[in-house]
Amino acid sequence: MNISSYTGTDNYFEDFAPGAVYRHARGKTVNENEAVTLCHMVMNTAPGHFNDHMMEDTPVGESLVYGGVTISIVIGLAYQDTGEQVIQELSMDNIKLLSPVKHGDTLYAYSEVLEVQDRDENSGLITFRHYGVDQDSNVVFQGERRAVIRKRPKYHDSLLV
Amino acid sequence: MSDDKVVPEFMQKAEFWGKGNRISDFVEGKEFEHHWGRTINAGDNSLFTTLTQMYNPLYFNAGYAQAEGHPGIVVNPLLVFNTVLGLSVEDLSEGGLGPFVGIGDLKFHRPVYEGDTLSARSVVINNRESSSKPGAAIVTWKTEGVNQHGEVVVEYVRSNLLFQ
Repeated sequence: MNISSYTGTDNYFEDFAPGAVYRHARGKTVNENEAVTLCHMVMNTAPGHFNDHMMEDTPVGESLVYGGVTISIVIGLAYQDTGEQVIQELSMDNIKLLSPVKHGDTLYAYSEVLEVQDRDENSGLITFRHYGVDQDSNVVFQGERRAVIRKRPKYHDSLLV
Repeated sequence: MSDDKVVPEFMQKAEFWGKGNRISDFVEGKEFEHHWGRTINAGDNSLFTTLTQMYNPLYFNAGYAQAEGHPGIVVNPLLVFNTVLGLSVEDLSEGGLGPFVGIGDLKFHRPVYEGDTLSARSVVINNRESSSKPGAAIVTWKTEGVNQHGEVVVEYVRSNLLFQ
């Protein structure tokens, strides 16, 4: 299997430089169906994420998207660019949820390259800071993520089958 | 709903069977072994990865994952993190009904594969009154996710605002 034929060509370790900031191509409207499905699937029992009737009596007025879903959807929007060549996810830090996300909100993702570090012949370490922004330009999430990213295969490697 | 609606007797009689802990339960150093555990199956991983659009074939292409040296498809690390956090919610943050303050020091220690079973445990590392919200507290826990072999697969520190 020539694994490099399965992924993109512009998102290898060498393609990232510290200080670069990217706006990712796709946004996503977070609908109730998937937000609640994912919340239940990961066993989160907090009814603030799935009981609208209970939440009517709070200042928010409706159930909120579980923060873990917001984090995952934003990183997902950034992932084809910053995660497709990941060999291993290492760590995350300074994760903040800065503004509530409601069902029907649309999220966009931005990523900043914080640190680039050589590792071995085939890979390097990159630290990103990801940002999630809603349709009104409120920053809803930011957090750092560090991963092992593949280097661009050399010509003879790409011919291996 | 009409004003003369009669509340059925079973509703009048019912005792509320509440869930979760309160601020005073979070004494520093207290440990929790969270309920249930969760075997992550192929459907979980596939649904989570596709709904969140995490496009790396490690999480949905078996041949690719094997070519990378794995025994099979790798469970999406964010599914691992979310499941461990989810298992901890009833014990830690459900009772206080407060928002998430932050997560840090998250480390993915080793890959998880489909069919692995995760369980979660936490320890209270800080409990302090909120300076801005009277009666509320900011509680911080360290949580670990463990696989069926007892190996830690993920750890992180989480803080939540909790109300009385």
